[in-house]
Amino acid sequence: MTSLTRVNPALLRGTKDRLPDEMLRRNAVMQIIRDKFEKYGFSPIETPIICPAETIIGSDADTDKLIYRFKDRGQRDIALPYDLTVPFARFVATHYKKLPMPFKRYQLQRVWRAEKPQRGRLREFYQCDADIVGSTSLLCEAEILRLVYDVLSNLGVEFTIKLNSRRLSNQLFERYGIELAERAPALRIIDKYQRDGFASVVSKLSERGIDNATAIMTELQPQGDNAATLNALGAYDTSELRTLLEHCRALGIPDNRIVVDPTLTRGLDYYTGIVFEALPQSGELGALCAGGRYDNLCERFTAQAISGVGASFGFERIMLYLDSQRYHTDSSAQSPAQALIALLADECIPAALKMFGELQDANIATELYFEAQPLAKQLRYAVKQNIPFLIIQGPDELATDSVQIKRLSTGKQKSLPARQLINYLVNYYEA
Amino acid sequence: MKRKKLRIAVQKSGRLRELSLKFFSDIGISLSEETDTSRALIAQSCCGGAEFLFVRHADIPTYVQSGVADFAIVGGNILEEGQFEVQQIATLPFGECRLAIAVPLDSPIVSASDLDGERIATSYPNSLRKFLRRERVNASLIEISGSVEIAPALDMADAICDLVQSGATLKENNLQTVFTIFDSSAVVIESPYQHVLKNILRAAILNYKAVSEGA
Repeated sequence: MTSLTRVNPALLRGTKDRLPDEMLRRNAVMQIIRDKFEKYGFSPIETPIICPAETIIGSDADTDKLIYRFKDRGQRDIALPYDLTVPFARFVATHYKKLPMPFKRYQLQRVWRAEKPQRGRLREFYQCDADIVGSTSLLCEAEILRLVYDVLSNLGVEFTIKLNSRRLSNQLFERYGIELAERAPALRIIDKYQRDGFASVVSKLSERGIDNATAIMTELQPQGDNAATLNALGAYDTSELRTLLEHCRALGIPDNRIVVDPTLTRGLDYYTGIVFEALPQSGELGALCAGGRYDNLCERFTAQAISGVGASFGFERIMLYLDSQRYHTDSSAQSPAQALIALLADECIPAALKMFGELQDANIATELYFEAQPLAKQLRYAVKQNIPFLIIQGPDELATDSVQIKRLSTGKQKSLPARQLINYLVNYYEA
Repeated sequence: MKRKKLRIAVQKSGRLRELSLKFFSDIGISLSEETDTSRALIAQSCCGGAEFLFVRHADIPTYVQSGVADFAIVGGNILEEGQFEVQQIATLPFGECRLAIAVPLDSPIVSASDLDGERIATSYPNSLRKFLRRERVNASLIEISGSVEIAPALDMADAICDLVQSGATLKENNLQTVFTIFDSSAVVIESPYQHVLKNILRAAILNYKAVSEGA
């Protein structure tokens, strides 16, 4: 043996390995999200992980602090995306001439944020974004909200979508004489209203020299229902929100799913119109999805004025929420296979291979045991992998052209004519 | 163009056809005597205010759901099997039957849990799945569109889920009922769309002596 310096198989803080059982659950949820995005006609794209730092930094002061940034071997300044919106803005600027307009894209990718890891917030995590660019029509917002409603409903989430408009916030700032430069910081403070409470927000606004903080926060309070909230804002133009609510109703989103909340701002600087977030009705998790309208996102990359609206689903939070709701009834599966073909003797290999091919042709996820070993050992493998069916065709079964099907969860074993096997499995109903 | 006459859908052929026509005749809407009753798919009523559609039994709720027909008589089992946007307004005193699970006389299956993992032949897959879900039993469904009772003898199935009226067919095939999934009889259904004459006919249906209102 040559001597070998073994390396500690360590991971960076805020990152993790994901084992098959977790990945199967994640993939199932990701698939639902992907399917819904495609049902609404959003097209998939992918953008690079390593990017020139200047294309990632500089769009929002708070998030800049969280960006992973390093020099590569060629001393180039590299940054990792902290969200999917900024890379998408760069993407649109790069491919503007080739893209259909409006352009609807979705993107399911990892992003990185160098912040303190906490429950549901690692430093490396997935976002699932859907955006529409190239149209300023409010129908885009309506479609995005319908998509959010659809995805979360399909995942069995009980949720409320909070809705507001930056245009409304701006009218209010205008009325109270808050200067342009003070508006973004004020929005970031108001954004923390749900977390920090009325008094804290008022005092922080006052610290920034905003005199009418109490009056502003009082005016922003949501009322008993959306009509009352909008009526209470009679001094402002609320037609954008009113029209959007009408569109949402026409799209079949139940009224009680959407709550107009004028204190909602979404901290990010780039929003210019409608903003929203979807919150689970129970638990302390915070928003599962958020988004809004941005008018100037691409301006850092191109002179072309491109308006867009999008939604970003926080995949890790959605998984946390679903785990807390016991969404996955079968959370111990290690293998995607539905059936394991046992191998009892070498003479059974040709028949086992034939059966394996036929089950694959019938699109039944199947594994083949590779060695003729005692059945108990093969059964243990099936149990460990949580494969529901063990299929046995030994010399006795071959002689009678039959198969034995063993259901692992009950231990019940059943003999069938071999040619009924596929039909049996395809039509098996899991109550 | 708005349709002037009320439309009533009834079974084209089968045991509900004559019973349905008799029911409507009893409440004052009878088939015009000129109708060639063996062939017509659309026929007028004597009074001229309604017309009858003769359609396949399983299709009846579709005609009513889409508003092509305003009322219909259909077996409750058909409504159970599908998902239809129709309102069931009355239960009628005919067309009684039940959806049942039956097994060979010598079968070891005696309880719902004994069905676990077995092959069940049926023409009512949705109703059967509902039953299996309720009983938390997994099984393989063998869907066939008729003569289900022959499947166990051919080693195609271990049990069947089928409509039973007298039980004679089961007996002939050496089968016996082990559970009833639901009892069914003929029902009147109404479309979700408006028609000026609907209220009149609905009142006549609900006034009929042997009708019990609702589902």
